[in-house]
Amino acid sequence: MKKQLRMALSAGVTFGIVTIFLFLIGFTGISGDLLADLFGNKNAAPFLGLTPQMINMIIFLALIGLWAGSYGSRKSKGQTDDPWAPALIGGLTAGLVHGILVGLLALLVGILNLNQVPINMYLAAVLPAAVKMFLLGGSPVQGAIFHLILFTLTGFLGGLLSRGIGRGSWRVRAVANWKNAWDRYNQKPFIKKMRGNPATRYVIYGVLVLLVFMVPLVAGQYWNYTIGTVCIYVLLGLGLNIVVGLAGLLDLGYVAFFAIGAYTMALLTAPAPQHLMWSFWIALPIGVVLAALTGLLLGAPVLRLRGDYLAIVTLGFGEIIRLLSTSDAMTSFSGGPKGVPSIAGPTIFGEPFNSGADFVYLIFLAAILIIFVTNRLQNSRVGRAWEAMREDETVSRAMGINTLTQKLLAFAIGAAFAGLGGALFASRNQFTGPEDFTFMVSVNVVAVVIVGGMGSIPGVIAGALVLKGLPEVLRELQDYRVMVFGALLVVMMLWRPAGIISSSRRKLEVEKDTGATESPKEGSEK
Amino acid sequence: MPSAKSPARRVSTYKIVQAILGILFAGYLVWRLYVVFIGSPAYGPDTWARFLIAGVVLGSVYALIAIGYTLVYGILRMINFAHGDIMMIGAFGGYFVFEAFKAIPVPTLADPKMTFLDANPILSVVAAFVVGASVAALGGYFLEKIAYRPLRGAPRLVPLISAIGASIFLENAAQLLFGTQRRDYSNPAILTRGNGWNLPIGGTTVILPYTGVLTVAVSVLLMLGLYLLVMRTRLGRSMRAVAENKQVASLMGIDVDGVISRTFIISGALAGAAGVMWGIHLGIVYYYVGFLPGIKAFTAAVLGGIGSVPGAMLGGLFLGLVESLGPGILGMSYQLADVIAFGILVLVLIFRPTGIVGEVLTEEKV
Repeated sequence: MKKQLRMALSAGVTFGIVTIFLFLIGFTGISGDLLADLFGNKNAAPFLGLTPQMINMIIFLALIGLWAGSYGSRKSKGQTDDPWAPALIGGLTAGLVHGILVGLLALLVGILNLNQVPINMYLAAVLPAAVKMFLLGGSPVQGAIFHLILFTLTGFLGGLLSRGIGRGSWRVRAVANWKNAWDRYNQKPFIKKMRGNPATRYVIYGVLVLLVFMVPLVAGQYWNYTIGTVCIYVLLGLGLNIVVGLAGLLDLGYVAFFAIGAYTMALLTAPAPQHLMWSFWIALPIGVVLAALTGLLLGAPVLRLRGDYLAIVTLGFGEIIRLLSTSDAMTSFSGGPKGVPSIAGPTIFGEPFNSGADFVYLIFLAAILIIFVTNRLQNSRVGRAWEAMREDETVSRAMGINTLTQKLLAFAIGAAFAGLGGALFASRNQFTGPEDFTFMVSVNVVAVVIVGGMGSIPGVIAGALVLKGLPEVLRELQDYRVMVFGALLVVMMLWRPAGIISSSRRKLEVEKDTGATESPKEGSEK
Repeated sequence: MPSAKSPARRVSTYKIVQAILGILFAGYLVWRLYVVFIGSPAYGPDTWARFLIAGVVLGSVYALIAIGYTLVYGILRMINFAHGDIMMIGAFGGYFVFEAFKAIPVPTLADPKMTFLDANPILSVVAAFVVGASVAALGGYFLEKIAYRPLRGAPRLVPLISAIGASIFLENAAQLLFGTQRRDYSNPAILTRGNGWNLPIGGTTVILPYTGVLTVAVSVLLMLGLYLLVMRTRLGRSMRAVAENKQVASLMGIDVDGVISRTFIISGALAGAAGVMWGIHLGIVYYYVGFLPGIKAFTAAVLGGIGSVPGAMLGGLFLGLVESLGPGILGMSYQLADVIAFGILVLVLIFRPTGIVGEVLTEEKV
């Protein structure tokens, strides 16, 4: 009982802090707008003096309250019986603490706002309008009492729900039913035959590819741009997947190779600052080769280092490239901070081939080529050598793998893919500059690989879609995107270190290793 | 035995290349030093003195941050990538103390507009350091608890990626909370940036800023305190024991998790103090303020030999000096100071990954 109360208290405090944080970054207001889009009640008439946005915000807060309540009423470890009273008391306690914290916040900001203190000078999102909305247009005391009641009530309800629904036997039954149905479906002779047949897979892939190829024809300018960006991230992700996922070398300066590809394309085809104006098709391979060569040059000395050190050296290298491209010293060579404008697009038989949809096709082709190459590499002798090296370098060396050569190969191939992505990116945007090559690009690509699933090709594609595509769909959340992104990286590592669609071997490895954390075996990792 | 011979020969070629490159670099450096100081001096002694002061001040800030990296690395063998952002939290802590004190009016006869900040500069500075270090220590504690502790024992990449995620989260949370604008640190009047003692050097006077002296003094004090803590106290002893071998330490009755927690608190507090110094001396605080100092302090930690506390101090000082003197000596523009710093990082890791005073690590550890 005592333990349960303590858990409920800590749940209440945690959720209280989270709710306060959400208010301070202005998310409570945005949540109102988001739900308004969802319900379509943006312009509805005020109800009881509450605007639709306020009602939506209340719904959002109530959801958090329910969650807090159900979290606060969870069982402590090893507790077998599940009586009602502790669950309800737990939910109530969590809700009460949650409500008190948020109520105090409401009181505080309300009073400050009444006294015309410019809070938003220090806390950018706490505008007077946001405070008014948070207090539902009432006085600070009214607002505080409202929040106290709201969270206490929803906390209690949450406790009730978690006892009734979350822990009910219906969940077990539903899972079992679903499993049965799935098994029966798989037992059907027709399905069995289709599953065993490789032709089915090719047909499915073919249909998928066809569908994907139809998309640019229907999508508008904006969506073609977005699809292009996602596909370029697929390219980059697959390149980094070789370095990080297969060979196990963390490269935080991947953007450097991307930049080299982009700048090669830019300087060779643009009228200024180099007056070369070569064709796209000549510049493209040069960019790829140059990026691969840089990878070799950087890799030769650096790849002797392991793990963390390699990450930091590559990060430093990426920053050096970016700083050089911004500096005055390079302005006459590569345009400096202003970048390189009017980069040429590709032509086919003299015809320009650079409309939005055309470019999407070009990037699709590149992506399919890379997917093919990666797939073949992964299953080749080289790919197996990489994976062996990732698992245990010493052992792989004992098995006769020249680790330095293999690492260099992985690094160079990864760099070449990045160069290809960069060249296409620069040509598509018809502009490139230092702003395109910040550290965040490297982190984005790393995240695509990690979130998708290290060492798995479908995983990388899924990662690019989730991380680069989803934010475009949820435009309202643009300001919160990068923050959520950081949190997502941490959560992924805690919850599914092998990624969304993980390669089977990687999954085995990570699970084996993290399984050791449960036991009190400290210091086994050196 | 030819098979045993070939790897041995490869190592030696690498050593030769290393040596040749090293000699080339050293020769270039000597030549530049000759050109700059004797051949055709670009700057007078007063300018060099200014560079030196700036370098020492910057170096003492880097040293404090670098100690945090080194402590954590020594114990967990992981790079606390979010350490720079812990420093940012500390800088904001100090900023808000100054802003709050500035808002309290203390009218006197001589100056009716006197604020609490200007009336009690010592108290304000102490409060800023205490608050900055405390919030940063709290940040470090929760960072470890949420993002690193559940991952103990996972493959090395996993906590590193978690750390990168935490760093991005902290930066952007700060951006959403406090906005994107760069804020001026409002120091007490006596510590106005640019105020200082005038030193007559080379015919002109060079200002030795009060803020710089304060920064170096606090930094030296904190480092002394840390040294005593690590070498003389029970906690320090258990920290060293845990760094040596977690398993054996826990068998000796040391609460390993508790020691790790406290290590994060200590390194967070040092970073927070460094953040307040950064604000007081350089005068600007914003959400991204911790990124570059964080990376550079990591460079400093590596430079001194990661895992070694005196190494981090030396490395920090060295890096600060390189950053302020380097462009002058190498005849580059000041925009490229960061390039030199990162270049040094790459070179050190290539030529001497164990750092200046680092322990001799086996290849396994590097």
